[in-house]
Amino acid sequence: MKSRKIALWIVLMLVVFLPSLGFAQEKVIRIGALYPMTGRSGLYGMDSVAAAEMAIDEINAKGGAAGYKLDIIFTDSKSKPAYAVRVAERYITEDKVHFLFGVVSSAVGLAVTEISRQNKVIFIGTDHAATELTLDNFQPYYFRVSNNTFQSMTAGALYLKELQKEKPWKTISYIGPDYAYGHSQLDEIQYNLKRFGVDFQLVSKYLPKLYEPDYTSFITSLIKDKPDVLVSGFWGGDTVAFIKQAKAYGLFEKMLYFHPDAGGNYEVMSALGAEMPAGLVLSARHHNNWPDTELNRRYVAEFKRRTGRYPTYAAEGAYAGIYAIARAVEKVGTPDNTEALVKALEGLQIKLPEDPDGFTSYIDPQTHQIVQVQAIGVSVPDDNFPPAKMMLGKWKVYKAEDLLPPKELIEKRLKK
Amino acid sequence: MDLPRRYKFGLLWTAGLLVFALVPLLMTSRYQMNLAGHILVWGLFAVSFNMLWGVTGMLSFGQALYYGIGAYSVGLLVTRVGAAWFFPALGIGLATAALISLLVGLLVIRMTGVYFTMLTLAFAQLAYQVTLKWRDLTGGDDGIQGIIPPGLLADKTFYYYVVLAVVFFSIWVLKRMAYSPFGLVLRCIQQNPERVRFIGRSVRMNQLRIYVISSLFAAAAGALMAGMDSSIHPDMLYWTTSGEVILMSVLGGINRFFGPFIGAIVLILLEDVIGAKTEFWPIVIGSVILVIVILFPRGVVGEAQHLWSRFRGDSSQRSPA
Repeated sequence: MKSRKIALWIVLMLVVFLPSLGFAQEKVIRIGALYPMTGRSGLYGMDSVAAAEMAIDEINAKGGAAGYKLDIIFTDSKSKPAYAVRVAERYITEDKVHFLFGVVSSAVGLAVTEISRQNKVIFIGTDHAATELTLDNFQPYYFRVSNNTFQSMTAGALYLKELQKEKPWKTISYIGPDYAYGHSQLDEIQYNLKRFGVDFQLVSKYLPKLYEPDYTSFITSLIKDKPDVLVSGFWGGDTVAFIKQAKAYGLFEKMLYFHPDAGGNYEVMSALGAEMPAGLVLSARHHNNWPDTELNRRYVAEFKRRTGRYPTYAAEGAYAGIYAIARAVEKVGTPDNTEALVKALEGLQIKLPEDPDGFTSYIDPQTHQIVQVQAIGVSVPDDNFPPAKMMLGKWKVYKAEDLLPPKELIEKRLKK
Repeated sequence: MDLPRRYKFGLLWTAGLLVFALVPLLMTSRYQMNLAGHILVWGLFAVSFNMLWGVTGMLSFGQALYYGIGAYSVGLLVTRVGAAWFFPALGIGLATAALISLLVGLLVIRMTGVYFTMLTLAFAQLAYQVTLKWRDLTGGDDGIQGIIPPGLLADKTFYYYVVLAVVFFSIWVLKRMAYSPFGLVLRCIQQNPERVRFIGRSVRMNQLRIYVISSLFAAAAGALMAGMDSSIHPDMLYWTTSGEVILMSVLGGINRFFGPFIGAIVLILLEDVIGAKTEFWPIVIGSVILVIVILFPRGVVGEAQHLWSRFRGDSSQRSPA
């Protein structure tokens, strides 16, 4: 009886302590990722997960970072901030992650950055655009490895300024979804046009609700307003629905469609196929056909090989985030020293698929925002990336440093 | 017969309280306390909602309105005016919820059945849209972050115990109410409003009273949640939030006082456990709910009690006809 009891104790001890022993022996960088896997932005989440896994496999195949293997766990954020907060808490306290990672929705990003601040755990933002995260809501443990809307709207304003010299235009209208993302793009395009001394007049602005199925009334109003340029701030399925419906009314022959943040997203091209009109001026945070570098070609091809589809822009953000983590840990030598990692990430340089030759993305030490080149293109026939029939071409490239907010604005908004 | 029953309830209360009180002491990570805290707050919200639906038979699809009022009162005042405003904000939230529920209540109780449900939904969606669009005040869909309660309350463990105390006290009050003569009138309203009038009681007056009371406790739940998550979001006022408490009540059983509370435990644990394992969580949760609704229409608590009484009871008496 006694021996049985002892045996039972031994088994119990083994069960309790073996897993933790295993943990202690293996050197692992634990990353807790939150992405939407369902709903409208589910594709961005799935692509991000695939790209993050791809980056991890690449790094681990080469022996990891500073001898540590990378390990990532994913949870569907459901695009719900309250749920994401609970998952982030679980990652930090239960899974003991070294990094929080991901997030597509800015609202979820803002909620998670609060948890990151309170727990002093680094949060690598890979794909949410709200400028607030690196300015007004700045906190030392947050880093963003994709462009924010301010950067794309600055590039947009520079494009429009140049355009005015070639083909004079005067009036613009704006259409974008009625939530923070749509509103900040409207503010930022106006702010930047004024900053660059562009003479323009905003004749109308429309803010239909997110996921609006029918844009007819907005399209007819826009045609009546007769702007020279229509600035658009939609994303994903909304862009697709708007373009389809506007095409039927001949809107694209009447004004220049200009969509510098998310108009050139690959999923828009692939969803529209041959229906995509030519001559639209668009951009995105990553392009499958620009820059034409070895790194970008390899990245796109490998993603296609693994998933059977071409990546949306969101994937590259996740890819960049994993590399940023690996480089920072290599510099510090351990994933456990958070303060040293923050220092290492500040100013960190990473060569990414979206970097043209001669430029390397880096993280701005003051705002923790990645600084990148932006290219704006025009839709042209190109069937190298099926099912898309049109891709962007005729690129104009904007230098990374020119896209940052002016110093006074950074200081004013950081203080808030 | 009355005495042992009372003891039994006392024992159950103490056991429940003990389980939740021990969480911070026995937990292996703070996440478990966070989860328990969420269960408590959602449990209170669901129980308060079920006072309307399960007890009085008024299926409100708009309780998120009051949950949101509580949350935004605390969120706005704590972040805009100062952390010290946490308790005053809670009071202001409750007062606002009482006032609005009184006004809305006067309008909606004139309707019955599906019309009542739709009207409550409409008011809640209205408030959701206002919260979403009034960006200068509410921060729009970005919500409000950095809601840190003052002093000792900023400590997560202490805050948890405050939540525990408030929730248990609130549920105790609601339970007393459910089994008081007032509760009896409410049950009568559900079963036969005509007779309530015959015995000289006003149906509308009592419906309005319970509507305001239920809304008050929903606002309290919202206020507690704002301090727990440190961030709030217009989603809290969206119809899915109202839907969630309905689901919790169905899962746990609407005809049992503690049904919605158990439903909250089941739903939150399911969401977290399954959400952590697979991105196909909706299909798993959907199936579980389908099975419960179709096979166990009394809900988890109702079904458990039924089984218990069958197990104890005289089998010959309960043999199927």
